[in-house]
Amino acid sequence: MSDRGRDTGFGAFWVALGLVIVFESWRMPRLEEQGINPYTAPGLVPGLLGIILATLGVALAFRRAPLAAGPALEGQGGGVAEPWRIGLAFLLCLGFGGVALGNGPPFWLAAGLFLFLAIILFEWPEHRAAGTLRYGVTRAALVATGGAAAVTFVFQEVFLVRLP
Amino acid sequence: MFEGLALLGQSMLTFAEPRLLAYTFGATLLGILIGCMPGLSATLAISLMTTLTIRLPAGDAILILICAYVGTIYGGSRSAILLNIPGTAANAAACLDGYQLARKGQAGRAMGIATTGSVAGSLFGILCLAILTPALGEVALSFQSYEFFWLSLFGVMMSGSITGSDPLKGWIMGILGLCVALIGQDGIHAYERFAYGDPNLAGGLSLIPTLVGAFGCAEVLTVMGERFQRVRIYAVDSVLPRIADVVRYWKTVLRSGVIGVYVGILPGVGEDMAAWSSYAAAKRASKHPEEFGHGSVEGLIAAETGDNASIPGGIIPALALAIPGSAPAAVLLAAMMIHGVKPGPMLMIENPSFVYDVVAMNVYATLGILFFGLFLVRPLLKVLLVPRSIIMPIIFVLCVVGSFSIAQRLFDVWTMLGVGVAIFLLRRYGYHPAPFVLGLVLGDLMDKSLRRGLVISDGDLSPFFTRPICAVLAVIVTITLVMSIPAGNAAVRRMFRWRPNA
Repeated sequence: MSDRGRDTGFGAFWVALGLVIVFESWRMPRLEEQGINPYTAPGLVPGLLGIILATLGVALAFRRAPLAAGPALEGQGGGVAEPWRIGLAFLLCLGFGGVALGNGPPFWLAAGLFLFLAIILFEWPEHRAAGTLRYGVTRAALVATGGAAAVTFVFQEVFLVRLP
Repeated sequence: MFEGLALLGQSMLTFAEPRLLAYTFGATLLGILIGCMPGLSATLAISLMTTLTIRLPAGDAILILICAYVGTIYGGSRSAILLNIPGTAANAAACLDGYQLARKGQAGRAMGIATTGSVAGSLFGILCLAILTPALGEVALSFQSYEFFWLSLFGVMMSGSITGSDPLKGWIMGILGLCVALIGQDGIHAYERFAYGDPNLAGGLSLIPTLVGAFGCAEVLTVMGERFQRVRIYAVDSVLPRIADVVRYWKTVLRSGVIGVYVGILPGVGEDMAAWSSYAAAKRASKHPEEFGHGSVEGLIAAETGDNASIPGGIIPALALAIPGSAPAAVLLAAMMIHGVKPGPMLMIENPSFVYDVVAMNVYATLGILFFGLFLVRPLLKVLLVPRSIIMPIIFVLCVVGSFSIAQRLFDVWTMLGVGVAIFLLRRYGYHPAPFVLGLVLGDLMDKSLRRGLVISDGDLSPFFTRPICAVLAVIVTITLVMSIPAGNAAVRRMFRWRPNA
């Protein structure tokens, strides 16, 4: 999709979000029955922000070119994004933090499995090409065991956090 | 003044205790290591460290956070010089000349210059922090809700305009942050906004898990999604700075220090802009501008002095006004609030020694970077060789457990994940997370200030524009907006163009 198309799509999204915020703010009580000053109504500021967000969305959707800008300041990781890596990162991170945690396995086991899988799967192509799979698996297992044990010990025993 | 010096002396003695010195050097070292690793920012370091230090006494925790902050910004210059990859966004300007020096076999010299510039910038910034914070706090005592409304809006708009490459997207992120900050009970009537009866949402999204998501989870997903080449590190010569380099460029150091502090004080503008501005100013003033970008010592010293000077600069408004100067300062401000410190105009009255404690913490952090920068360069470089496939999963586990540990509820982990995924996706389309963070931290202040201001004026908007400071801020916000729009920019330029025949 072109930059223009993306901006139009995102612009429509921000307009929709802004309008939802305005609508929800309008539905908030004005608390008049409590005799409070109408300028302190809870929906006032979110409503205004919703209007601004929708306006900016319109500007984004219909602009011809990006606004004048300074240098791109985003810190660069220095790597090249690959779709399979992004997909795997999502799968592992959401699987660990969103599904496994608190739904059965104790923290140390879930963290250990996450670390092992993340390390070995992301390093798999390099190890396979170099013929060092056994070394890679051993290293991943050691790091996963050590990492999970250390994090569990520090948070559970030192910071007294009851881990899920 | 003498009272201030006495308080500073007392703070310096307090933090000279062996346990606190161990915290200082440990946190600075950790900060340098995090800064060395491309993709890990100072904001991530501070938000992650906030979760790890949540159970420590306030003074100890804030000491660790400040040391990690200073260490991270300094540490980023290592990878900028040796790999041509800035460790943090603040070190991008250092790549231009630092890497060229490394290619010429002068990597050690470049690191020595970076250390000198960083220490000089930090010390200059600390001096300004000690002098300007009480003064600004005193001025801010006369501020009312009107001024605080404009200051919070100014911070978000400035951050949106300057960070990232597209001001419109920056403003959208800032407004989004302000909206997210309004979820939960409002600060005046305790009405639950956007909670829909969910007890987790009624309290609002916890600040630290949200910040860890925006900068931790999103960065981990970004870095894990990338393939990296094995790094090649240039040979390192002596890292001891040459006295001649320091003496010759004293004007550059001073100028960059002033620019760094000034940019730091501007709400929402971070260390990266300080480094670029200092670099650009040094190039304009240099007798050898042609050397910039080809291994100029002056360029490197300007960039590193500027970004480190902006750290104390960013803390000045955070302490005096509760308006952070940068995204990392926003997290630091949030951490201070969590630990029961109340930054703002009343700080100098209620807790004056705290300002000098922060000054002392910065001094010790600077000593830390001087020590590690001069004596532990080679061992520190080993961290650049640790594969990111090992570091990133460990950091993600810390993000998860850190978010959970604050209130021991899974909802915070889901918040961290949700925000992280959203910011990851938005970043891929050019939406910078820094204005979002500013909006998140300043949302409550802006909400209360606008409504209180309207109550005081009984709905009259004129005080928002007629009070002197409000008028200045309103004009700046308007000009910023207009100048960022191409048609508005052209119209303003046409209006002020000098016409010789006119």
